[in-house]
Amino acid sequence: MEGTAVAVFEILRFLIIHWKCDIDVSKGALLEGQLEISIEGLHSKHQANALHCVTTIASAGSLFGGMVLKKFLKEIQSILPGISAKLTWTSEEGSYPQDMTGVTPFQMTFERCGLAMSHRLECSGYSQVDEKPRTLMTNCLVIKHFLRKIIMVHPKVRFNFSIKVNGILSTEIFGPNFGTIESHCSRIHPVLGHPVMLFIPEDVAGMDLLGELILTPAAALCPSPKVSSNQLNRIYSVSIFLYGPLGLPLILSTWEQPMTTFFKDTSSLIDWKKYHLCMVPNLDLNLDRDLVLPDVSYRAESSEGDQSHNMDPQGQTLLLFLFVDFHSAFPVQQMEIWGVYTLLTAHLNAILVESHSVVQGCIQFTVDQVLEQHHQAAKAQQKLQASLSVAMNSIMSILTGSTRSSFRKMCLQTLQAADTQEFGTKLHKVFREITQHQFLHHCSCEVKQQLTLEKKDSAQGTEDVPDNSSRELLADTNGQAENKRLKRGSLRMEEMRALHSARAPSPSEAAPRRPEATAAPLTPSGRAAFKAHGRALAPGRVSPGSRLKVTERALRREGCGRRCGPQAAAEGSSLRAPLFPQDVLWLQEVSNLSEWLSPSPGP
Amino acid sequence: MAFAPMGPEASFFEVLDRHRESLLAALRRGGQEPPSGGSRVASSSEVLVSIENIIQDIITSLARNEAPAFTIDNRSSWENIKFEDSVGLQMVSHCTTRKIKSDSPKSVKKFALILKILSMIYKLVQSNTYATKRDIYYTDSQLFGNQTVVDNIINDISCMLKVSRRSLHILSTSKGLIAGNLRYIEEDGTKVNCTCGATAIAVPSNIQGIRNLVTDAKFVLIVEKDATFQRLLDDNFCNKLSPCIMITGKGVPDLNTRLLVKKLWDTFHVPVFTLVDADPHGIEIMCIYKYGSMSMSFEAHHLTVPAIRWLGLLPSDLKRLNVPKDSLIPLTNRDQMKLDSILRRPYVTRQPFWRKEMEIMADSKMKAEIQALTFLSSDYLSRVYLPNKLKFGGWI
Repeated sequence: MEGTAVAVFEILRFLIIHWKCDIDVSKGALLEGQLEISIEGLHSKHQANALHCVTTIASAGSLFGGMVLKKFLKEIQSILPGISAKLTWTSEEGSYPQDMTGVTPFQMTFERCGLAMSHRLECSGYSQVDEKPRTLMTNCLVIKHFLRKIIMVHPKVRFNFSIKVNGILSTEIFGPNFGTIESHCSRIHPVLGHPVMLFIPEDVAGMDLLGELILTPAAALCPSPKVSSNQLNRIYSVSIFLYGPLGLPLILSTWEQPMTTFFKDTSSLIDWKKYHLCMVPNLDLNLDRDLVLPDVSYRAESSEGDQSHNMDPQGQTLLLFLFVDFHSAFPVQQMEIWGVYTLLTAHLNAILVESHSVVQGCIQFTVDQVLEQHHQAAKAQQKLQASLSVAMNSIMSILTGSTRSSFRKMCLQTLQAADTQEFGTKLHKVFREITQHQFLHHCSCEVKQQLTLEKKDSAQGTEDVPDNSSRELLADTNGQAENKRLKRGSLRMEEMRALHSARAPSPSEAAPRRPEATAAPLTPSGRAAFKAHGRALAPGRVSPGSRLKVTERALRREGCGRRCGPQAAAEGSSLRAPLFPQDVLWLQEVSNLSEWLSPSPGP
Repeated sequence: MAFAPMGPEASFFEVLDRHRESLLAALRRGGQEPPSGGSRVASSSEVLVSIENIIQDIITSLARNEAPAFTIDNRSSWENIKFEDSVGLQMVSHCTTRKIKSDSPKSVKKFALILKILSMIYKLVQSNTYATKRDIYYTDSQLFGNQTVVDNIINDISCMLKVSRRSLHILSTSKGLIAGNLRYIEEDGTKVNCTCGATAIAVPSNIQGIRNLVTDAKFVLIVEKDATFQRLLDDNFCNKLSPCIMITGKGVPDLNTRLLVKKLWDTFHVPVFTLVDADPHGIEIMCIYKYGSMSMSFEAHHLTVPAIRWLGLLPSDLKRLNVPKDSLIPLTNRDQMKLDSILRRPYVTRQPFWRKEMEIMADSKMKAEIQALTFLSSDYLSRVYLPNKLKFGGWI
């Protein structure tokens, strides 16, 4: 990853931190807005086989209307020393690249020099530095992955990322897919673990934190057991995503070699033997794929002697999200958050090693919950299959036993079957499709719609009171209680904050190096669930929020100027379809997550 | 054919005969309307076609990409039950229903079990064989889980198809006993004579099939408990008060016992009396015979005998006979709840004397078994209590 990508990361991170902290975003509300990132490459006049690149970062709307320019420039320069920033600020009257019309005046220019592959990012389109095409491509892929990780946690933030190379424009939009109707919920359904305090090693140099680092894990299976029809899939791989304060992705200093000391040992997070799994690090992480790239990846290997172990590559992926947040009794300043990022970027490994036991404990517990849910879902699926089998056999028994030809003929004709054998096959197929479809709808994402439908059946009630035979099917696999757990979870976080506030050190004290044993994880009874757009997270699935990737030729051909390029910014609001109930529910739920991830405002 | 004249003289039954006349007059005034709604005796082909129609509906739903569902009447809901003097508790014509969906995790298993039992019924009817509910449960006990599940589904199917359980070729196991002045021929031609002896006859499992019933009985006595029934047998009660019929369901009566009582009333219009313990449980059993049960209200017309009278043991008898307190038992909390429940039922308001007796019980907070009368003498029940009650009209 070259300096371009790093610079984009740092600037975006800085902007979002500034956005969250300085702009009056009410606690619990989601960040909402749009950022434009564009890279334009032209044949270099100074170097062969190189591209002269100009990068622009701009905002749409009035996201940063309250930003004080001089202060901003000063702060951004202090953050990007390696880039030897020479920052300029183009005013509203300044000229903009043609593709950026309609965007508000916020644009950034800075220049880095002194490095072999120095690069200049400016809005004016004039660069003095050239770059190999391969390097540019790598940087773009890395940036895309970074954007994907951001929108997983900030679903109302939208990124328009465009690359223009020698006149050919390619644009991707990263953001929630408003307006799309899903036939069933294809999201992952994470389980949020309880937060634990991390210990900072004494030998870790860095700022003295006036607060604590809190790790909150979240785990989910992908594809969701609610979607997967193969209930006996084993876990095939593990993908770990690291996030710092405010839900911004962590880019470790050793990101290209993620198997640092801590993650290299696959059992450092989870005792895999408990699940009869043997995990090995997966170093084959290909940037060039249209999926979210995990920070750490493991894959399962068959353990010796376990002949029944199914290493089906179509098996499930365990997704593990590790959120490291900063909590303080005092109002957290923007630079303080930045400092935490710096600390985590450089020393996350050491911190995790120091906190190994509590980290492993809370992650293990969270994974246990997810797998238990999976197990319950698998059991419910098995019961469903068993029941359907009984139903279909009974129908076939009556059909084949009937001596009334008109009845048999009518049944065959209705399902368009030539004979009873074909009828049986079609019966099985259609029954399965219909009931599977409905079962997939029994999901907390659909719960509001379902409740609405059930209310309409007031004159003819549904079987709400089960008799003895169906009580076993009442396992809560549809997640209808997840909303309640979500609220309890947010309360649990409040308790946690209150706990830490009560024990917060005085301003003169450094962050505790080794808190007392009472920092052990809280009871799990109040664990909450959150939902994330997870369609991109499984192998072979589409990237999250990625809307469109067109060439300029396609633009001309389709006459489509709506979704592509900077014009999308101006028309974005009009393009957005009304929110559907499932989206409203999703946003409401994720707003709680954002609340957990925001810095503590203090007592 | 006359029975051996071992009973009391004819004058003993004067009050009984007048009571019978009044009952017959009431029947004539009531017009003896045929039962409406509820289940009926259906032919085998009708049952098969009904089941095939259900399957057809399911397949039609599937072809339309809709998840099939059964619509079941809420049999055990008071909102679906009304009370009529002539019938007792019966289901209303437009009752609320519930859906047993095939695409709901909560109900898919029941949906499947209903189909399973329907297919079993289909085979029974086709092959003209019969099975009890217990037999059906044991065909796959693991699948069904417990007997109650099977019982409920069979009742639901009977209610859904509006045919009697017998028409579904499902029998309920009879546990009742009968003794006295009665003879009949069973469906298979077996001649049965219930003439009182040392032993009683088991209530047959095919009530609908019995024919050629003959009796001279002046009354039918329903006895709650088998212990009391055996006691009366031992005391030769049937001969002492001949001609009469004695029957017991050994507690809560099974379907066949109720069907037989109903058949005896419909055939002979002989006064029917109950002899139950003076406790809420006994009163409830009596109400089942007389007014029917909630769960079987859809078959009320075939099961209830509203003409039944409460002969004993009345709570007022306890005071009248000075039954000592140590023979009485305090009402438990459960008894209290049951008593309160019975007092709230619609039919109790039509029975002021019954209500008064229950209020005596509630006030005293005491109950008594029939065996409490043994404090007077071991055969007081058969020698004094019952004869006096029957001779002098001591029923309510």
